[in-house]
Amino acid sequence: MSPIQRLVDAFHRLPGIGPKSAQRLAYHVLRAPVEEARDLAEALLHVKESIVLCARCQNVTDRSPCRICADTSRERTVICVVEEPLDVVAIDRTGGYRGLYHVLHGVVSPSDGIGPEDLKIEELLRRLRDVDTEVTEIIVATNPNLQGEATSMYLARLLRPLGLKVTRLARGLPAGADLEYADDVTLGRAMEYRQEV
Amino acid sequence: MAGRPPRVTKTEAIVLRYRRLGDADRIVTLLTPHRGKVDVVAKGVLRARSKLAGHLEPGTRLEVVLAHGRSMDVVTQAQSVEAFATLRADLDRLSAAMYLLELADRLTVEHAESGAVYRLLHASLTRLARGDGQQIVTRTYELALLDATGFRPELVVCLQCGEAVDASRASWSPLEGGIYCAECAGRRPGVSPIDGTVLKVLRAYQSQPYEEAGRIRLSDELAARIESVMHTLMHAVAEREIRSASFVSAARRARVRGEAHEAEAEARAVEAVEAVEAAEE
Ligand SMILES: [Zn+2]
Repeated sequence: MSPIQRLVDAFHRLPGIGPKSAQRLAYHVLRAPVEEARDLAEALLHVKESIVLCARCQNVTDRSPCRICADTSRERTVICVVEEPLDVVAIDRTGGYRGLYHVLHGVVSPSDGIGPEDLKIEELLRRLRDVDTEVTEIIVATNPNLQGEATSMYLARLLRPLGLKVTRLARGLPAGADLEYADDVTLGRAMEYRQEV
Repeated sequence: MAGRPPRVTKTEAIVLRYRRLGDADRIVTLLTPHRGKVDVVAKGVLRARSKLAGHLEPGTRLEVVLAHGRSMDVVTQAQSVEAFATLRADLDRLSAAMYLLELADRLTVEHAESGAVYRLLHASLTRLARGDGQQIVTRTYELALLDATGFRPELVVCLQCGEAVDASRASWSPLEGGIYCAECAGRRPGVSPIDGTVLKVLRAYQSQPYEEAGRIRLSDELAARIESVMHTLMHAVAEREIRSASFVSAARRARVRGEAHEAEAEARAVEAVEAVEAAEE
């Protein structure tokens, strides 16, 4: 395989990159100064070599405990459980949450062969069993689909007996949505969790 | 125009599962009453504003409009008819529903008539959603599904000699899907004795209408043994592991563990109260 084709193929394997975009990126690298290409290559290798999972929250980080777990200004009584590292970024960006996180690295998906034992659930239980734990509430922020709900109910079943308050994100209509097109479950829940205006 | 297939089809369907396709799309596997199992593309469903996404969750019965594409049909409209919302309020029911859906997926083929399986799946999801016992719904579904797909297990007469077999002396072969009498079982590979009570309950489930079968009362322990026999049989018929089966078991283990934990906490609380009372006296 030619070196160019190898690069095109490598780009094509990235999420969201079609064959045309892969070609454009490859030719961009080809024309770029050698320093730029070296910088890209080193950045790629560096991220793989230096990134680890935080021993506490299991998020991807370059040091363990990660910045969030080490941040003493954050509330230590609540843990928000998410499916993927990107969900931490999304929730933290809102600025409305100042507690800790726990990343499951997936969701219960039996038809894909992913069971609870494949997620970072044991690691969560270990955190909660720690004698120094101050956690009183777990917010389950899995996606509002069948697999996310199976995961959240399974977690609730494990965590409630430990005397913890287990909550999950409110579900309702997305901003900009049109009532007419909402499905029954979403609309029903939006009604159930309505708020005073 | 003559002889050209129509460019769009409207059909009723139940969503069996989906898998991701690229950044925002999904391939959704539908079970339809007349066209069997079909894979269709649902575009943009991973975006928050998708009008289709909420209607295309596994276990939803819906009306769907499909445009015929080159390799796969594309969903242009979807409207849920029954979302079975109560299934999502209880982990045991939800895990059982996932198991029903996975079995329907494994035991049907694409584009083959499957009206019987469709009606059976719909009836069973309805029963789970209204709160019928998970065991009775699941077991009768498994047996009726095996009937509908040509895998009816032989639970009454010996596979070898054809004589009626006394339940207490039967041997069972999950791979062959049937029983042997003591004489014929001999040293056949893969054949082992089956619990007489388990076999009697399965015979009743196979031969009686659902309402009758539902009156049979089972201990948790017996229900677990019957479940294990059926999981092994379904695995053998599907020629692969039914992965939701282990989630059904994991959910139950978590419940049992939680109940034990709560009972323990309650006992400790009672002890503490008694200790205080004893100290006060
Ligand atoms: Zn951390």
